[in-house]
Amino acid sequence: MSEVTVQGRQLVLLAAGFIVWSVAFVALYAMLSVGCAYGWDRIDLAGGLTLQRVQLIVIFLVHLGAGLWLARALRPASTSRGDDHPAQFLRHAAYGTAVAAVAATAFTFAGIFALTSCY
Amino acid sequence: MSQEPERASSPIELHKALSSAWDTPGGWGRLSAINHSILGKRFMIAAFVFFAIGGLLAMLIRVQIATSNTAFVGPEVYGQIFTMHGTVMMFLFAIPMFEGFAIYLLPKLLGARDMAFPRLTAYGFWCYVFGGSILIGAMLAGVAPNGGWFMYTPLSSSTYSPGINADVWLLGITFVEISAMAAAVEIIVSVLKMRAPGMSLNRMPIMAWYLLITAFMMLFGFPPLILGSILLELERAFDLPFFDPTRGGDSLLWQHLFWLFGHPEVYIIFLPAAGAISMMIPTFSRHELVGYRSIVVAVIAMAFLSFGLWVHHMFTVGIPHLAIAFFSAASGLVAIPTAVQIFAWIATMAQGRPRLDVPMLYLLGFFVVFVLGGLTGVMLAMVPFNWQAHDTHFVVAHLHYVLVGGFVFPMMAAAHYWLPHFTGRVSDHRLSVPAFWLIFSGFHLTFFLMHLTGLLGMPRRVATYPAEAGWDWLNLLSSVGSFVMTIGFALFVLDLIVQVRFGKAFRRNPWGARTLEWAMPTPPASYAFASLPTIEDRADRLDPDALAPSLARGEGYLGFMRNGWQETLGVDMTTGRPEQVIVLPKPTFLPLWSGLATGGFVLGLLFKTYWLALIMLAVTVVILISWTRTTGAREDTGPLAIGGGESAPPHWEADQAPSWWAMVFTLAANATLFASLIFGSLFLWLVAPGWPPAIAAGPGLALAVPCAVALLVAGLGGRRAASVLVAGSSPAAWLAACAAGQTTATILLVVMAAQVVEPTGHAHHATVFVILAYAALHTAVGTIFAVYGLWRLKAGYLSARRSLDLRIGKLWHDYTAIVGIIALVGTSLMAILAGVPEIQP
Ligand code: HEM
Ligand SMILES: [Cu+2]
Repeated sequence: MSEVTVQGRQLVLLAAGFIVWSVAFVALYAMLSVGCAYGWDRIDLAGGLTLQRVQLIVIFLVHLGAGLWLARALRPASTSRGDDHPAQFLRHAAYGTAVAAVAATAFTFAGIFALTSCY
Repeated sequence: MSQEPERASSPIELHKALSSAWDTPGGWGRLSAINHSILGKRFMIAAFVFFAIGGLLAMLIRVQIATSNTAFVGPEVYGQIFTMHGTVMMFLFAIPMFEGFAIYLLPKLLGARDMAFPRLTAYGFWCYVFGGSILIGAMLAGVAPNGGWFMYTPLSSSTYSPGINADVWLLGITFVEISAMAAAVEIIVSVLKMRAPGMSLNRMPIMAWYLLITAFMMLFGFPPLILGSILLELERAFDLPFFDPTRGGDSLLWQHLFWLFGHPEVYIIFLPAAGAISMMIPTFSRHELVGYRSIVVAVIAMAFLSFGLWVHHMFTVGIPHLAIAFFSAASGLVAIPTAVQIFAWIATMAQGRPRLDVPMLYLLGFFVVFVLGGLTGVMLAMVPFNWQAHDTHFVVAHLHYVLVGGFVFPMMAAAHYWLPHFTGRVSDHRLSVPAFWLIFSGFHLTFFLMHLTGLLGMPRRVATYPAEAGWDWLNLLSSVGSFVMTIGFALFVLDLIVQVRFGKAFRRNPWGARTLEWAMPTPPASYAFASLPTIEDRADRLDPDALAPSLARGEGYLGFMRNGWQETLGVDMTTGRPEQVIVLPKPTFLPLWSGLATGGFVLGLLFKTYWLALIMLAVTVVILISWTRTTGAREDTGPLAIGGGESAPPHWEADQAPSWWAMVFTLAANATLFASLIFGSLFLWLVAPGWPPAIAAGPGLALAVPCAVALLVAGLGGRRAASVLVAGSSPAAWLAACAAGQTTATILLVVMAAQVVEPTGHAHHATVFVILAYAALHTAVGTIFAVYGLWRLKAGYLSARRSLDLRIGKLWHDYTAIVGIIALVGTSLMAILAGVPEIQP
C-alpha cells in the first residue's frame, strides 16, 4: 500500500504547480465577484487602497508564495539529468511544471495591482 | 481451471491458440465485437462518415452565403444547418475520431493486447452511434437544433425554442458524451496500468503522454457541459428556472458552464493531433524526438492553461475589467507551450535527415495553417481587437485555421502514416499528392477570405446580407474555394479506397519507424502481440524489425495460452514492473443491448414519455449489472506464471486492479460535476438578478440529521465490509448495514427534495431540489452496490484475496457519504444565504 501512495504522489506532483495556479485562479475570480457584489471596491482602507484590492493582493501573494515554495521543494537534488530513472524523470518534470506555473501565476494575475476591479 | 500455461510448439500453433481465444465471431457475431482493433476502426469510420455529413452541411452554408440575398434555404433551415455543422464537427467527428485513434493504437504502442475495459469500449461505440443518429435523424425530420453549437440560453430555453429541436441537442450530445467519458477513463487506466514490462513512465512513446493528458482534460472538462445540459433540459422539460432571469436564474450561467468545457475542448481536439505529429516527425526525420521531457511539461502546462481562459469567449458580456485581464493573460500564455512543441518538432527535423513523403506533406500543411491560426488567435485574445471582431467571420476564419490546421491536417497525415498498419498495404501515392494540393489551396481560398469579410464587418451565423455591404465577390470566391477543397477530400477518399483494394503488400514497418506498433504482423491479429516485449529503452527508440520475430515466437511475456483466457499484463504505474495478469472478457452482445436500452431511455426523455424512460433506465441498469456475471472467479488462484520464470496474481486478486482505478477516476469526474453544481448555485446567488427569493427553502434539521447519520452508517458499513473481508471474516453484516443506511438516506433525501416548495418558482428552490436529488441518486446507486456485494458474497466470488468488488464499492460509499453530507450542509447554508436579506449582495 505504501508504495502505491508514493507513486501516486509522484504522478500528482507533475500537476502540483498548476494546481496551485488553478486554485489561485478560482479564488481570485470568486473573491473578485464577491467583492464587487458587496461594493468592497468603494471601501477605501488607506491612501487609495480599497478593501477589494487588498484582499485580492493577499490572495495573490499567498498563492505566489505557495508556488515558489513548491518549486523550491521540488528542485532536483543533483544537476545530473538522470532521465532514465522514472523517479528522476518525474522529479525533473514536476520541477519544470512548478517553475512554469509560478511564472504563469505572476503573469496571469499581475493585473490586480493596477486595473480597476469592478467595471 | 488450471494455472499452468499451455506452451505452443511453433509460432503457427501459438497464433492458432491465441486466435481461438481472441477472435470475434463472424456474421451477426460481429456485433458482439469488443476487440480494440475492430472498435477503433469502427469509431474512425463512423467519425469519418459524420465528417462527411458535416462537410456536406458546410457546402450548404457556403452556397447560402455565396452571394447577397440568396433565397436558397432561408434563415430557419440555415440556423439548423450551421448548428448541426458545428455540432457534428465538434462532437461527432473530432472527439470520436480521437477516441477511435486512441483505442486502435494505444495498446499497440504500449505493448498490451487490448484496452482495459473492452466491453466499455463497445458500449461507448454504440452510445456514440445511437446518439449521433438521433441528431442526424432529427435533421432529416427538419427538427434539428438551430441555436448554434453553443446553445446559448435564453435562445435555447423553451420560451424561444419551443419545439424539440433544442432537446435533441441536449439529449443527443449528452448521450455521446457518456461515450467520451467512458473512453477518457479507459484511456487513463490503460496508459497508467497496461504497458509492456519495463516501460516506465519516462519510456512511454510520447503519444501515450499526449493521450493520457488529453483524457484527463476530458475527465475534468466534460462534466460542466454534462451538468449544463442536464440543467437546461430540466428547465425545458420541468420548468426549473436555472437560466431564467425573471425567476432568479441567469443565462450567463449557461455560458460559463458551456465555455468551461468549450475552450478546453479545442485543446482536447488539438493535443491528440499534436501527439500524432510527435510520432511522425521523428520517423520521417530519422532522428528521435528532441526535448521529450520539455514536451511533457509543455503539454501539462497547456492542459491547465486552457481551462483558465474560457471567458475569452464572453469578453463582450459585461464581465469586470480585472477578470477579463486574467483570462486575456491566460489566453496569451497558452501560446508558449504550443511554441515549445513547435520548436521541438523543428529541432527534430533540423537534427535529422528529413525525408518528404505524403504524411510529411500534410504536416507541412499543418505548420502553415496552424501558425496562421495561432496568430489570429493571439489577435483575438487582445481585448480591444476582440471587441471589434467578435462574432464576425474573422472568428470563423480563425476557428477553422486552428481546427482544420490543428486537427484535420495532422489526422490526414496520420491516416496516410498508419493506413499500412490497418491494411497491410502501401500505396504509390499517385492520388495523394494532388489531393493534398486541392485541399490545401481550397482551404486557404475559403478561409483566408473570411478574415477579410470579417474585418469588413460581416457577422457570423446570418443567412443573408445586403448587396450594398460589398461582400459579394469575397464570399463567392470563398465558396468556390470550399468546392475545390471538397473535391480534394473526395480524391483523398478515393485514394484510401484504392490503397485498401490495390495497394502493394509489404512485410512490416514500411516507414522504418521505431515504435512498438510496427513490431507485429500487419494487418494486426486480434491479440496484437503473440507475446509481450520487455522494454529496456525509451519506446520510440526500438527496433521493431528485430523485435517482431521473437515476439511472434512467443519469447516474451504471456507467450502461451491458459484456460482459453484473454490475458494481458498489468504493471506498476511508474516503473512498469509486472504486477498482475489482467484477464479480459470475451466478445458479447451485452454492450449492444446496453447501448440500445440507453438509447431507449434517451428517446423516452426526448419524446417526454417519462414512464418509458424510467423503464428503459431500469433495463439499462439491469443489463449493466449482468455484465459482471462473467467477471472474477469463485476460487483463489494465487500467482500465475507469466513467462521468464516470473509470476503475478490475476487482476481480481491484485491490490489495484484496473477497475479500481476506473472507479477512482470516474468519481473524480463525478466530483467535478458536483462542484460545478455547487459553483452554479453560488454563482446565481451572487450574480443573478431576482434575488433573494420570496421564501428560502432548505432541508429541515428533523430530516437532515437522521439522513446524515444514515449516510455515515452506509459509509462506515462499506469500509468495514471491505476490511473485514480482507481480514478473513464474513462482511455480510456490514454490507447489510451499508444497504440499510443507503436505503434510509435515499428515502429521507427524496422526502426532503419533495418538500422543497415550488421548485419552479425560483432558481434558489430549483438548485436546492437538484442538489438533494443528486445526493439521492447516489445513495440509490449505493444501495445497489451494497446489495450487489451481498449477492457476490453469496455466489462465492468473494474471499480475503478476492476483495476487489467490495473495495470498489467502498470507494462509492465513501464518495456518497461525503457528497451527501456536503449536499445537506450546502443546501442548509444556501437557505440561510437566501433567507437573510442583509447578506444579499
Ligand atoms: C470542411 C470544410 C469546412 C467548411 C467549408 C466550413 C465552413 C463553415 C462556415 C462558413 C461556418 C460559419 C457559419 C456561420 O457563421 O454562418 C462554419 C462554422 C463552424 N465550423 Fe466549419 N467548416 C468546415 C470544417 C469544419 C471543421 C473540420 C470543424 C471542426 C472540427 C468545423 C467547426 C465549425 C464550428 C464549431 C462552427 C461554428 C458553428 C456555429 O457558429 O454554431 N468546421 N463552418
Ligand atoms: Cu477559447
